[in-house]
Amino acid sequence: VSTLGELTSSLAHEINQPLAAILSNAQAAQRFLSQDKPDMKEVAEILGDIVRDDNRAAEVIRKIRSLLKKEETRYETLSLNDVIDEILNVIRNDTALTAVSIEKEFDPSLPSVWGDRIQLQQVILNLVLNAAEAMKEEGTDVRRLNVRTSKQDGRFAKVSIRDVGPGIDESTASRLFEPFYTTKAGGMGMGLAISKDIVKSHKGEIRVENNTDRGTTFSFTVPFDSGVRP
Amino acid sequence: MSDLSPVVFIVDDDSSVRRSLERLVKSVGLTAKSFASAKEFLQYGHGKETGCLVLDVRMPEISGLELQEKMTKAGILLPIIFISGHGTVPMSVRAMKAGALDFLQKPFDEQDLLEAVYRALDRCRQAREEHQEMETLRARVRSLTPKEYEVFTWVITGMPNKNIADRLATAEKTVKVHRASIMKKMGAQSVAELVRMAEKAGIHPLPAK
Repeated sequence: VSTLGELTSSLAHEINQPLAAILSNAQAAQRFLSQDKPDMKEVAEILGDIVRDDNRAAEVIRKIRSLLKKEETRYETLSLNDVIDEILNVIRNDTALTAVSIEKEFDPSLPSVWGDRIQLQQVILNLVLNAAEAMKEEGTDVRRLNVRTSKQDGRFAKVSIRDVGPGIDESTASRLFEPFYTTKAGGMGMGLAISKDIVKSHKGEIRVENNTDRGTTFSFTVPFDSGVRP
Repeated sequence: MSDLSPVVFIVDDDSSVRRSLERLVKSVGLTAKSFASAKEFLQYGHGKETGCLVLDVRMPEISGLELQEKMTKAGILLPIIFISGHGTVPMSVRAMKAGALDFLQKPFDEQDLLEAVYRALDRCRQAREEHQEMETLRARVRSLTPKEYEVFTWVITGMPNKNIADRLATAEKTVKVHRASIMKKMGAQSVAELVRMAEKAGIHPLPAK
């Protein structure tokens, strides 16, 4: 997946943080223990922190793996607003988003949906990083990204990601979601294909259209949680 | 020089990393003081303490590299050791060019960090001593009377008393008295030492008229 390359630096950072804390903590503990009257309370706290940081590193790896391959899906009742917030938080420091200002416009009364958190986050991630990259190519001085949630037809939650990039050539628009179709130099052409797949398995729809003023809006829908389980 | 307890400042937005570093510093008997953001660090009243800063590169709002710039502007002269979860070569080059002492990749061994910290504290101590020396020197220069100061600027050219007396249209004996007083006030044993002091204090010989 093309977006993974861009995320490598973020992920390395996310794993190196707990690793650094674990190492410093362990080495500090060794020093404390070699003192005449070791502060056992401090050492106990250190061990607690080490356990927590180890779990934290494992969690990061679990997340990468679920991004890399489609594991068994885990459907649950989700607040789409929270799901978006969470992934935006994870990537907010990513270099791909440098100089991009993200504007959130969430419908606070959006009913919850039935979906797989990780998969939906992958869709959002793909769309956000694509939009950021499009605006980079354009060299737009104001790189504004709008992420909006709304209700559609009383049955769907809709997520719209709007950029102010150069827009999309009408002739290629229909092919964008095909696997291995790419307009990017180093792209694999998988991001949007996987996104379409995920949205489809959620019984929703993904689409793209050019804005009337400038840029493009990608949007997808996910049905509200009806309580009926397939 | 009084240097009771040097302080190792730590700025990292990751609370886990912050706590572990604090402990490591504490485990070797040094004092640690940590902050969750560059902003908090800048708000802390920095005095003349001996210390150094262990600084994370990647932080929201103000990054480590930006803080480095702000510190230079604010005159906070603590030596900096950068730590980074995923540093790039250009990033470390930029940091080192701006005067950083070290650039460590996380996770780092305690030995590397502690060595860097000791080196930074030495550097800071040295800088403080030089600063102190400079202050003393300036105070000594200020203690000279205007007449002595004038003679001083001639003495450091290596000119003998007789010539200075001619220049100032005064008696050679008077110049001799001034010279003795200057040497005493400046605490100098020789003219050579006086010249070095003048150089250090940025006092240049008067251009010959």
